[in-house]
Amino acid sequence: METKGKKDQEIGAVLLAKAHSADEVNRIFTEKVQQRPLYLTPNSPPPSDARAARRRAQAKKKEQRKKALKPKPLSATQRRKLGLYDVPREGQKYAVFEPLHNLWVGYIQEVLGNETYSSGDAPGAKLASADFHGAEVEVVRSGCVSRVGIKGIVIKDSKFAFEIITRKNRVKLVPKEGTVFRLEIPAPKQPVSSQVAAPAKEEQPESMVVEIHGEQFQFRSDDRASRKFRTHFSKIL
Amino acid sequence: MLSFQAPSVYQASKCYFTYGKMGHTDPRQPPSKSKPWTTVIGQDFVHRVDVIVPKEGYEAIWAALVKDRDAPKFEKVVMSLQDVLSGYFFTEYIKKGNIMMLSEGRIGIDNVFCLKDGVLTMYLDKETYERAGLVGKPHGVKGARGLKPRWVVEFALKGDSMSPGKKGFGRLVAASKNALSAPVTWLFSNLSDTDPVPDPLLQHAPTNHFAAPEISWKIETTVPPLQPTAKLMDSHSREDLECFSTELYEWLSLVRLESPRINHKDDIDPFLCRYRTPGSGDLTEIYKISWQGYLSSKWCRDTLVHLMANIPTKSSWFSFSTTSFSKAVAGDNAECTILRPPTSTGEYLMWEVKSHE
Repeated sequence: METKGKKDQEIGAVLLAKAHSADEVNRIFTEKVQQRPLYLTPNSPPPSDARAARRRAQAKKKEQRKKALKPKPLSATQRRKLGLYDVPREGQKYAVFEPLHNLWVGYIQEVLGNETYSSGDAPGAKLASADFHGAEVEVVRSGCVSRVGIKGIVIKDSKFAFEIITRKNRVKLVPKEGTVFRLEIPAPKQPVSSQVAAPAKEEQPESMVVEIHGEQFQFRSDDRASRKFRTHFSKIL
Repeated sequence: MLSFQAPSVYQASKCYFTYGKMGHTDPRQPPSKSKPWTTVIGQDFVHRVDVIVPKEGYEAIWAALVKDRDAPKFEKVVMSLQDVLSGYFFTEYIKKGNIMMLSEGRIGIDNVFCLKDGVLTMYLDKETYERAGLVGKPHGVKGARGLKPRWVVEFALKGDSMSPGKKGFGRLVAASKNALSAPVTWLFSNLSDTDPVPDPLLQHAPTNHFAAPEISWKIETTVPPLQPTAKLMDSHSREDLECFSTELYEWLSLVRLESPRINHKDDIDPFLCRYRTPGSGDLTEIYKISWQGYLSSKWCRDTLVHLMANIPTKSSWFSFSTTSFSKAVAGDNAECTILRPPTSTGEYLMWEVKSHE
């Protein structure tokens, strides 16, 4: 620039002189250094005209309509507002869910089949992928001691908690974390035929007691069906 | 997590030495407010009591403490916690009576229950605590990454809220049926003077035990100086006072252990043991009376009062020591030793060893 002293000009020219002849030095210095074009930033955004604005508005509307057509699950706030998963007051009775429990007992006896009384991997895997809506559970061990002793029928099995209705018609939400639940599956009643004598009282097997570690069970019931359970070391034990 | 905690300086047991004056004691109104008495009463379950007297005091003391007094009685019984909390046992002994009970086990390792002054304290491990469902506090060393491996649960059973039918009591009873249902061996001692007439304890087949006094006769030994001089009590010579009190406590402990080293005729090779009785006193005969069993702090206080009332002359000295049941590590007991030197002014020296718990 003009305010550069003579000495600086000379430095540029001196450096160029090391590579070019004198005429070339003059030309290059004037064209490329002194008269260097200075690029300013372009105007942003480009000034819009009505047509471009209309085009943009139409594209946006089309996208929104496409999005609204895609089915999406309800968010937590929407669910709470709609109250879809609440059990109505009249329905919060233990007696209402007892038939569900009986259905569940039949279902689980079918699921377990012959292996009702063996312990090991096979009945464990079957139980793990079974559904627990309608099971009668009791909280047997918990990091939060006030939960111990809650007993009732499962009315909702969500990812992290069981919703249980107790005999006193109270609905309790019990988190699965750090909690151990116990279920009893009664023995399937054997059909009594006239030729075979009914088995004596001592020979009838007792009910099968299952303890579920809630920590390892924190999956939705539909996700659990296809899951392979591996043994994990639990930090609460 | 699996390794044992090395005891740090904050977890060591501490010994406190006190030198003071006792006022006159009236056997009918035993004192309970002043210094040596509060320590004696404030002890937990006492396991062993030792009384050391010289020959001059022995005859009278023997008559007062051994001949004319019944040996303290305690029972060993196998009951479950459910039996303790139900029926006549609960209403007669716990609600109306005054008993103390201690279950078998070591406090930091097994599940231990103890009942004293109507307060049931349960020391549980993590699984039992989580299964019981009772609210408690973490017990033991703090820290360890938030893992709380042991818990203490306390219930004041004498209160109105602890009656059948109330919610809190209902939870305790439910826990005693589920998680705490195993039968446990207890030491039982009835502290009140009368027993309830149809004794609810008899149905559990208790075995009776008596803490009969054992007497060690005529230990010939030199007694070290029992009185700290006025120079020692000066505030500048704290180390000398510490030295004096430690040596005297060491000698008293060796007498309690019936060690042959304090015997006058002991001639062990100095290579094996260099212990010498401090000071150069006269040769005297001393006698030791011990009671060992499940004793109460109230009985200890009464024994001390009888001892003081019956010691023949004011110039005879005595030493009274109690050891309580250990709480954490075996051997880590709380102790209390009171020595009355041969003066007539009622001075006493007291060593109180507190376990770190």
